Amino acid sequence: MKPTLVIAAMAAGALVAGCAAKKGFEKPGFAFGCPIGESKVSSMDDLVRTKVVSEGRRTTIQATEMRCSQTGELLRIDTNLNNDSKSVKRIAYKFRWIDREGMRAWEEEPWKPLMLYENSNFVINTISPTNKAVDFRLVLRSEE
Amino acid sequence: MKSRIVAALAALALAGGCAQEKTRYGDARGVETVTNQFGSTDLQMMAESMARSMLQAPVIASSNLPVVTVQEVRNKTSEYIDTRAITDSIRAELQKGGRVRFAVDQAGMNPQVDELKRQQSGLYAKESAAEMGQMVGAQYRLEGNIVSIVKQVEDTKDVYYKLNLQLWNIRNGLLEWSDEKEIRKTTTRG
Repeated sequence: MKPTLVIAAMAAGALVAGCAAKKGFEKPGFAFGCPIGESKVSSMDDLVRTKVVSEGRRTTIQATEMRCSQTGELLRIDTNLNNDSKSVKRIAYKFRWIDREGMRAWEEEPWKPLMLYENSNFVINTISPTNKAVDFRLVLRSEE
Repeated sequence: MKSRIVAALAALALAGGCAQEKTRYGDARGVETVTNQFGSTDLQMMAESMARSMLQAPVIASSNLPVVTVQEVRNKTSEYIDTRAITDSIRAELQKGGRVRFAVDQAGMNPQVDELKRQQSGLYAKESAAEMGQMVGAQYRLEGNIVSIVKQVEDTKDVYYKLNLQLWNIRNGLLEWSDEKEIRKTTTRG
């Protein structure tokens, strides 16, 4: 087989593989830029379910979207929260940072109160406090 | 007479019961809404927000452990706020993150110089005594303001706080980073 044919076949293979990667899942171990480790995540809903936890009083506020990006050695996170009710909702949130060993990479953050207008979206964004934090959970609770 | 004594005793017992106190530990990082004055949640939110924002400043993100000195955060509100507590929290978060080093600030200068002088007094072994002229000068200084707007009508009180912090390059006087954190609290009675 001619070397040019081999190169062409390899390029075509790489192209097919590239096209086959679903949008948001291009990098193995990451979904929409967020670290997922061994978790089975195949959609945005899966990602949100994996990363968002509830503590204390449950809230009707839903995280609908989450995207992450690497800023230098730190992890930047944008999370869209949705209030689809007809009333103003008050919640509190915090991020929990996890290191490579699955242990806490940072002390417990303070709860941050947040008000969401009726039928509205609000994007909370944060950055990891240290480069030791390679994973996270967003914790929500109702403040009603 | 007997019935009066009984009534007095009952009243005393009732008063004693009402005065009973209960002390419990709480969540130091919980949302505090006891009054609408500047509180622990405000301090924690401002410090965290500012420290995280500063981490993204190009001079911090791209430099190799820049040296910063913390100057005053002027309290321009109508209430007493220990602004030192805000800068102390920001400093603790940044220092813990390992991205910034802090040089001794104005408030810490006198104890620092006193200790240096004490070590140079001849009482200490030369090899272990800190030498004069070895302190590291800061490259950046952090300063800011906190302001508030308070409005009150009948049963509603609205308080708005704004913390503004700036990071100045000491060598060339350029403003390298600045950010604000706003907080609004409204208290209604009834």
